[in-house]
Amino acid sequence: MKLHLLPTKFKKIGWCLLIPATILGVFRIISDFDNDMLTMKVFAILNDNFMGSTGYFKVIETDVTNTIVGVLFILGALFVGFAKEKSEDEFIAKLRLSSLLWAVLVNYTLLLLAFIFIYGIAFLNVMIYNMFTVLIIFIGRFHYILHFNNKFVSNEK
Amino acid sequence: MKNRIKVERAIHDLTQEELAIKVKVSRQTINAMEANKYVPSTVLAMKVARVFQKQVEEIFTLEESD
Repeated sequence: MKLHLLPTKFKKIGWCLLIPATILGVFRIISDFDNDMLTMKVFAILNDNFMGSTGYFKVIETDVTNTIVGVLFILGALFVGFAKEKSEDEFIAKLRLSSLLWAVLVNYTLLLLAFIFIYGIAFLNVMIYNMFTVLIIFIGRFHYILHFNNKFVSNEK
Repeated sequence: MKNRIKVERAIHDLTQEELAIKVKVSRQTINAMEANKYVPSTVLAMKVARVFQKQVEEIFTLEESD
């Protein structure tokens, strides 16, 4: 099974992005996404807010903390999840695909439950987390099984 | 599908790691095959058989459930 994956070195780069992004992300959640840390001018294809009008293709000034954390997290998670293992082979390819399938199923099962049982502002939080949970669950399961297998190996001659 | 990889490995005095290097796969793959958690592709089955200098069917055999 031939999969199109990133070169192995992206894995390390991925962890270097993903870990700080996760720490920053958790910090943002704790602080309720409140304190703006970095405001700068950015190009927006689409921008609207509660008071003003909608703008298209404009340079606007806004807080980019969430943007940076989100971009770093997604890039990091994609690199970690889709870079080749050092010894990528057919079993690892199968494990990768089955983990992805598993992650999509688990993610949408959780989202379905959230749809049914969570209402109001809390659901907004569900939507925020849901942007990242597929990748988190996928990376978690894939590495857990790969690592779990490894433990068997080291015990055995 | 059953396999005799573990037995053959013992006969040839190979560790999982050494066999993995010989057939150019990861150690996890050898481990998963021995634990019957992974059925290898035909290509990999033939490579494993070649290392042990046996026919594929002497190492891999079908079960009732297959």
